[in-house]
Amino acid sequence: MLVASGLIKRYGDRRALDGFDLTVSAGEITGLVGHNGAGKTTFVEIVTGLVRPDSGRVTVGGVDALGDSRQARRLIGVAPQEQALYVTATVHDNLRLFAALAGLRGSRLRQAIERVAEDLRLSDVLGQRAGLLSGGQRRRTQAAAALIGEPRLLLLDEPTAGADPETRQALLAAVRARAAAGVAVVYTTHYLPELADLGATLAVARAGRVIARGSQQNLMHGLPGELRLRLDGAAIGRAATAAANTLMARRCPLPPELAGRARAVDGELRISSADPPADLAAVLAAGCTPVSVDVRKPDLDDLYRSLAAEVAHAA
Amino acid sequence: MRRDALSRTGALIRHNVMLMLREPGPLASRMILPLVFLLLLHPLYEQAQGQRNGITQAVVATIVTFSMLAMSIAGSSILTERIWHTWERLRASAAHPAELLVGKATPVLAALVLQQGAVLAFAAAVLGLRVAEVPLLLLVMLAWAVTLTGMGAALGLLVSSLSSLAACYDIGGMLLSSLGGALVPLAAMPIWVRHVAPVSPGYWAVSALEAALRGDTSRALIASAVLLAFGACACLIAGLRAARSWGRTSGL
Repeated sequence: MLVASGLIKRYGDRRALDGFDLTVSAGEITGLVGHNGAGKTTFVEIVTGLVRPDSGRVTVGGVDALGDSRQARRLIGVAPQEQALYVTATVHDNLRLFAALAGLRGSRLRQAIERVAEDLRLSDVLGQRAGLLSGGQRRRTQAAAALIGEPRLLLLDEPTAGADPETRQALLAAVRARAAAGVAVVYTTHYLPELADLGATLAVARAGRVIARGSQQNLMHGLPGELRLRLDGAAIGRAATAAANTLMARRCPLPPELAGRARAVDGELRISSADPPADLAAVLAAGCTPVSVDVRKPDLDDLYRSLAAEVAHAA
Repeated sequence: MRRDALSRTGALIRHNVMLMLREPGPLASRMILPLVFLLLLHPLYEQAQGQRNGITQAVVATIVTFSMLAMSIAGSSILTERIWHTWERLRASAAHPAELLVGKATPVLAALVLQQGAVLAFAAAVLGLRVAEVPLLLLVMLAWAVTLTGMGAALGLLVSSLSSLAACYDIGGMLLSSLGGALVPLAAMPIWVRHVAPVSPGYWAVSALEAALRGDTSRALIASAVLLAFGACACLIAGLRAARSWGRTSGL
């Protein structure tokens, strides 16, 4: 449904996109992740025709989105990162406009408003001015404006940023339902658990290009999480880093293979670990007796670090 | 395809009318203040220029001055879209840019023509204003409204806040209408003002309206053509600014 290849976009000396490639099939949800400035929003702006790339190709449903941007936009529903609502108009007025621009009329238009309002739990606030809504309701209205035209490609740019759990839940359910109906979805976010909820594949952007693409399971497999051991003794928490490391080493003598991966942070001993149970067993066997143990699963930061290291190594 | 375009344009016009009516304060003040101004000041003009010329001058002064101030309707309608980020959102829709412009400009044009029409109708009904050529006058009113819409749109795209916009149309509007001889006849102004007056669109609006009220077709048409040239320049500036400002680079 969406094929982007070799996209380059420069702003002065800065390359916002530097050979950006991404393919998303019908019915697939792709989580486009990456640090701020990785090129995610520029990519969304190019697909929607707001920004013209210096080179590259984009097709949406087989339509050349750079040559015939308007034809491609008929297939796209977009929720931009920044709130884009008519604040003096009601939710209904906002939705009616975007439904009409998507070509809906008469009873189809009315049904579409009812359906999307129900999906996103907006039925009770349809008559309220958008400017008087809560932050979460505004987020949902923004997403509803993207969904209402029954698009074949959905571009959702950080749709749940700062949203409450109700908003997040409603939005994720609506996105899952659209994907199940065959809509391709590009979902940019900084929250990995959301993408797990959506069953999304991942595309990791860095410095204007997609550096990794695949299922979450494949990309996260083998990434180290963290084993966090809290030791008895307030002195460790108060000591400076070097002193804390020395105190930790005295209080909790680790085998050399673990000591190399350990550091003292905020009175905790943190051990980078791909296999926390085995490492914990080794810690206990070495005679270290923590007062509490916590395991942190690998997150997006770990993935970025790991991919950045791979890229640097390859270079 | 054509039906779709008409339907989208209709939806945009309806939406923009609705936005205008949801916040009716600015529109109402632009409609009511000119009538108050005309009612209170026409005796002054009549005393200075005789009854018939005085009424004409008072009507023209009111229309040009207050329609200049009403450029704010066009400017704020564009600027609020930029502030709300709905401008980019519309651009990302299936609508053609021409549909967006027609949808945006039509209610503004209608408001500006209505404002002039209200002053003229009031002057005809209450003060006994006589109009020699009604169709010619309508043509002039439309040309002036198009010019103001273009200038207002350019302002709305060039400034970055509502307070800057208010300063521009307050100062610029009064300056251009005074310079054009709307408030005080040019004959009563210093010579240097008479020399620079034609650079102001207000001067051509005064000429066109006076000519249309007198029935001087050729002068009214020439002045209207110059007004439309001003309008075209303003639209060009607006178009160039708009083309540079799509996406996150809009400067807001």
